Amino acid sequence: MDVSQYLEIFLDETKEHLQNLNTRILELESDAENMDTINEIFRAAHSLKGMAGTMGYKRMQNLTHDMENVFSEVRNGNIKVNSGMIDVLFQCLDALEEYTDNIQSTADEGTKDNEELIKQLNDILNGNSGSGAAKEEKQTAAAPTAQNAEEDNAKWDSIALDDSQITVIKEAQKQGKNVYGLNVMIQENCILKAARAFLVFKAVEEKAEIIISSPSAQDVEDEKFDRDFTLIVLSDAELDSIIKAAEGVSEIEKVTGAPVVLENNKHYHASEETEEAATASAGTETQEPAEKAAASATPTAAPAAPAVKPAADGKKQAPSKPVVNRTVRVDIEKLDSLMNLVSELIIAKNSLVSASTQEQTNTNSAFNEQIEYLEQVTTNLHESVMKVRMVPIESVVSKFPRMIRDLSKKLNKKMELYMTGEETELDRTVVDEIGDPLMHLLRNSADHGLESAEVRAQRGKPAVGSIFLDAYQDGNNVVIEVRDDGNGIDIEAVRNKAIERGTITPEQAANMSEKDIINLLFLPSFSTAKQVTDVSGRGVGLDVVKSKIESLSGEVEVKSKFGVGSTWTIRLPLTLAIIQALMVVVGDEKYAISLGSIQTLEDIPASDVKLVQNKEVIHLRGAVIPLIRLNEVLDVESKKSKDENLIVVIVKKGDKMAGLVIDELIGQQEIVIKSLGKYVKQCRFISGATILGDGEIALILDANALI
Amino acid sequence: MELSTINKNVLDEENKGAEETFQFIVIRLGEEQYGIDIRNIDTIVKMQPITRIPKMPPFLKGVINMRGEVIPVISMRLKMGLEQDVLTKATRIIVLKLEQEGNVGFIVDEVKEVVTLSVNEIEKLTYNSKEEKTNLINAVGKHNGDLISLFDLNAITLEG
Repeated sequence: MDVSQYLEIFLDETKEHLQNLNTRILELESDAENMDTINEIFRAAHSLKGMAGTMGYKRMQNLTHDMENVFSEVRNGNIKVNSGMIDVLFQCLDALEEYTDNIQSTADEGTKDNEELIKQLNDILNGNSGSGAAKEEKQTAAAPTAQNAEEDNAKWDSIALDDSQITVIKEAQKQGKNVYGLNVMIQENCILKAARAFLVFKAVEEKAEIIISSPSAQDVEDEKFDRDFTLIVLSDAELDSIIKAAEGVSEIEKVTGAPVVLENNKHYHASEETEEAATASAGTETQEPAEKAAASATPTAAPAAPAVKPAADGKKQAPSKPVVNRTVRVDIEKLDSLMNLVSELIIAKNSLVSASTQEQTNTNSAFNEQIEYLEQVTTNLHESVMKVRMVPIESVVSKFPRMIRDLSKKLNKKMELYMTGEETELDRTVVDEIGDPLMHLLRNSADHGLESAEVRAQRGKPAVGSIFLDAYQDGNNVVIEVRDDGNGIDIEAVRNKAIERGTITPEQAANMSEKDIINLLFLPSFSTAKQVTDVSGRGVGLDVVKSKIESLSGEVEVKSKFGVGSTWTIRLPLTLAIIQALMVVVGDEKYAISLGSIQTLEDIPASDVKLVQNKEVIHLRGAVIPLIRLNEVLDVESKKSKDENLIVVIVKKGDKMAGLVIDELIGQQEIVIKSLGKYVKQCRFISGATILGDGEIALILDANALI
Repeated sequence: MELSTINKNVLDEENKGAEETFQFIVIRLGEEQYGIDIRNIDTIVKMQPITRIPKMPPFLKGVINMRGEVIPVISMRLKMGLEQDVLTKATRIIVLKLEQEGNVGFIVDEVKEVVTLSVNEIEKLTYNSKEEKTNLINAVGKHNGDLISLFDLNAITLEG
């Protein structure tokens, strides 16, 4: 067996633990007394250490070890949390992240020892009573495990030993080696039990020689075991150290162990052995409750432990397990291909539908019923696949509080980040990409947006600046807003800067609306920061944000009021592949409009169209809505005469509305978006194409770009 | 289909160590004949309905559905600076695999035959004319007394 195959899991988990640590340490700073937080931190650090050790990343292990020492002192109340210490801890996390990145790219942790950090950690330790480490060992050996002990105890006594194994054990005992029985209980919600088990095997093998395991090593590797497995090992080492090594593996609920006494083994014939009867009682009375168990086992998992009972033949009966959140890690590429297949299925379904409507006269109702049923099924199937691909944006935004804290120190401004809607879900591919743009916007708010303390005081604003990050779903879009109560955009400064840079001429500048001016900010290499800091102001950023968001078929807008604050709004499509659309006819061409942006369909008499500032508008339920004649935009001849009633599709983007005038409605259809590749850029209001049931191609109109 | 076997034949011939030869599909545009290296051709289909894309340069006629894939179609005539296509029964769309642009369809007046040209029958054009038409041609092949202009496929882009 080779550790490299577990590298993926290791990386995934390390990142999770690091993120967790980041969040918790931040909590710790604001609430230093919270025991839950401290325990959580301790647990994460401990798992990290164990994992790094098992994978052979010694430097990482050393650093986490020293961090763990600090945490344990904090937990014991020997060290008080202070800001300096939090800073050091954050630096440690950064160093660990660096190791992780190195491992990810080269499978090696690199050569940086981070001695400075380790020294600082030790200083923190030594600055206080250095007695903690020993104390901590005993402290958590908790009561709840004791009652389970009885039943888990001595499982190794029911392992069927063959003669040769018995001989080996006897031989070893004669040589003064210790023979231990170990029972390893894996956490209930553990996904890759076999991998965990392997790591336990590996950890134990460093200290001891495994004689037999139940189920067999092969079965364990094939995951043919329930939640626990039992080992009999030979070792010179102390039992405690072996148990600790095994517990170092994450997602291990607990490890129990005791010296093995052959006479207690149910398969051992007492008649064969008499001389070691003296130690007969030892096996049952030594029970080592896992000291970590109290901290690491989830409270719900603990009562389930006694459910596993050994059967006489050494195999276990299937225990009744409580239902837990069962998950499977799936490669995103597999989901992509699944999505493609669903797309093909929907195209095929659409052609069936169009074939059946063409030959309506001779199709019977049963056929139509089945078609309708098929439609339902494909729609549900599509939705399910979509849901599988959706992940909460939490995984991206949870690193921001830490970032704002760092920025606050660096920029010497007081600020607080408020986040809502972290649970909002987006397609995995979008979530992966959205982190950087959001980070840019937050940095922007922190650096340019929020004023210095003096200016804030003058303006009567609270000393601590606020930055908000709100995410929510709006129809077929997900909206993420980054808001601050800072300075807002100084329109005049932008205008002057643009003229100075030669981006626009003074005459142009005079004619530009505020909105146009603000949009200049999204041009490449445009920065108004008076001072270039290393946070922002180098003129890269907003244009990158814009192009990134647009590559995800989204858009970004900014609203700002000078002296009051700015709001950056990112609007992203919920789905990237399949949408519900309204099919319309303009001239003799078919187009699809995403249902998500459509408000209503209206039948408007030609006489109701009014002119305002030489633009056509209609009055609709108290609102004045500008009309867009699609045939003009798309360069086709309308088939309708001038005085006929207009069919108007009212579309909405944010709080803006527009009426798209079309010639004919076809109806609603589920369409698969096919990319037009590089032409999309040349025609900005066409967002893609789709293949209709009869094989014909229809273009998809991007209503957002038309408004 | 045949293409793969043709390709194989080309390779076989090359492997034999005989004089290097290339196969070209001969197409007709107006009165002239052009050759396209057979290795770049994905498929040849009959003319079919093309979905127009607004705001595109005139030579980009639109997109077609090629076995579930949306691919652009270019009028070879307009690209070469000739007059509009006249659609006849012989009109075909040749789908080429281009390195930069992926699969692209080209409308041609007629697909005539496959010819095999040896290296000494191909004459590279060295002059650099400013005429757009010749920019797409990088060699001329001689076949049975006819001259066939050979396309430089790397020069064909979708930009104006």
